[in-house]
Amino acid sequence: MMKQRIPRGFKDFLPEEVALKREVERRAAELFASWGYREVITPVIEYLDVIEGLGTGVQPTDLFLFQNRDGRLVALRPDMTVPIARLASSKLRDEPLPLRLFYQANVFRHNVPQRGRYSEYWQVGVEMLGARGERADAEVIALAVETMQCLGLQDFQLSLNHINIFGSLLETTGLPQETKDEVRDLVIRKDLVGLEHKLRGLALPPALQGLLLRLPVSYGGLEVFDRLPGLQAIEGAAMAVDELRVLVDALRAFGVADRVTIDLGVLRGLDYYTGVVFEGYCPALGYPLLGGGRYDRVMEGFGWPNPATGFAVGVERVMLAIRNGGGPERPRCLVAGAELGRVMETARQLRARGWIVCLDVLSRPQAELEEECRRRGCRLVTVE
Amino acid sequence: MSANTITIALPKGRLVQPSLDLMRRLGLPTDDITEEARTLVYDFPAQGIRYIMCRPTDVPAYVEYGAADLGIVGKDIILEQGKDVFEMVDLRFGYCRFVVAGPAGMQGMPLEHLSDKRVATKFTAVAEEFFSSQGLQVEVVKLHGNIELAPLMGIADMIVDIVSTGQTLRENNLVELVQIMESTARLIVNRISYRVNYAHLQPLIERIAAAVADKEGTA
Repeated sequence: MMKQRIPRGFKDFLPEEVALKREVERRAAELFASWGYREVITPVIEYLDVIEGLGTGVQPTDLFLFQNRDGRLVALRPDMTVPIARLASSKLRDEPLPLRLFYQANVFRHNVPQRGRYSEYWQVGVEMLGARGERADAEVIALAVETMQCLGLQDFQLSLNHINIFGSLLETTGLPQETKDEVRDLVIRKDLVGLEHKLRGLALPPALQGLLLRLPVSYGGLEVFDRLPGLQAIEGAAMAVDELRVLVDALRAFGVADRVTIDLGVLRGLDYYTGVVFEGYCPALGYPLLGGGRYDRVMEGFGWPNPATGFAVGVERVMLAIRNGGGPERPRCLVAGAELGRVMETARQLRARGWIVCLDVLSRPQAELEEECRRRGCRLVTVE
Repeated sequence: MSANTITIALPKGRLVQPSLDLMRRLGLPTDDITEEARTLVYDFPAQGIRYIMCRPTDVPAYVEYGAADLGIVGKDIILEQGKDVFEMVDLRFGYCRFVVAGPAGMQGMPLEHLSDKRVATKFTAVAEEFFSSQGLQVEVVKLHGNIELAPLMGIADMIVDIVSTGQTLRENNLVELVQIMESTARLIVNRISYRVNYAHLQPLIERIAAAVADKEGTA
């Protein structure tokens, strides 16, 4: 049946999935609000030049594009960071900083559906605009950890890195931009074999080559830096390492340091992030549940230079990870009877007491009603 | 994916013996593992190791979805499938090459003359990526076996395939026109278990890298 198809990469949510999705969103939204973040809603489309002009690392081929009636190209939003930056820089400029904002939104990218991600997917997330420093970073990271905990993901871990460690190493090589992009791409894909082949052909100083090969597999506590003494010789990298040390101290104060691991292989969109970056994982799921970091350059693209940091949680991914652990269900019943007024009154009283109540609108005989209740797993209330 | 057991996906076929040899050199258990056996899963609880024997083309999927922590698979398959896995070590065995080949009459033909021709291959992604990176337009026909027959039967003008000795090409009167790239077996790892189970996996990965380098040194 042609008429029953939906485009590849999209999905319907059935009642149980919606219930779980709403529960995830409700818990996250309540938590964000309690930390002083306020919800905003932006249009699902943005002008293409708004999205494209900011180097967010979204491939143009990933965008859903169409022409608006005004003749300009518009795109379905591929993330929420840019819409929020646009909104804040145009409408919330006069508010005291930092601005703390959150969202629950669908975003759109042409994706290969096999990676546990659809072309339309849902995110909940926060952005903190107008604050730099370890306290701002630590707040956002601690909130990410707490979000996972309040969603019931107990064995959750967060990997932390600073983009400038790899960035300044790459700068030091003095390689042409095209080669740097290739090296960066190999590191992002963790193709260590390809990286080694590539570096071998580049005649870099052995110490630098060794560092570039070690970074993607360096993981642990702050002691990872003791094993990479060469980083101290590179100014930008040394500064980034110091920033991470200070941040880990702050995370200890927030009580989340035990959830956080230094992972120098985490490189999220290098054009976009300017400092600390992080990703969250749970052993039950083969891909990250959340990601975020500091992006101090995006706002200046809107003529309002301000530091910024935030994260986004993949709602469907969280749903996959917690599928088996829903919350307590409210009791359900089916109310039936000949006298409609008395049926309604009984239903009203039960609903007031917190029951989920369906009415028998088909005036069925007792045996059919009992069968229906067995199938739905609910109580039958017959009003005489 | 369990914290105490490391699951390794091994490919059946030509890579299975060198893979088992490698496991043995590392001192990992390989008793009773044979390709002929119908067993698909071999458990060695005492050593905390489990092997899954699967089709080579399925190894990346087992690893990507976390059914296995580690896997051994040819670079040719990784490239063709474009799966999201970490490629950690070049194991140096299972050498083969991706080539464009055609009937003997095409020998010495400049690359740009291959444009607008039809190419038969099992590796459609690799073929499309190669020709488009050269700025050439070709029509790609996916076949599942006996690729070398395609030019003879008139299905295609040329083929993209993996060759190890070149014997099959010669037997079918085909000549290599261009080498696309070389391929060897690789050790791949699931991106989440690598992070969640780093303390177990990274030492094993480093031992494997060292064993490969050792053998290279003595060969």
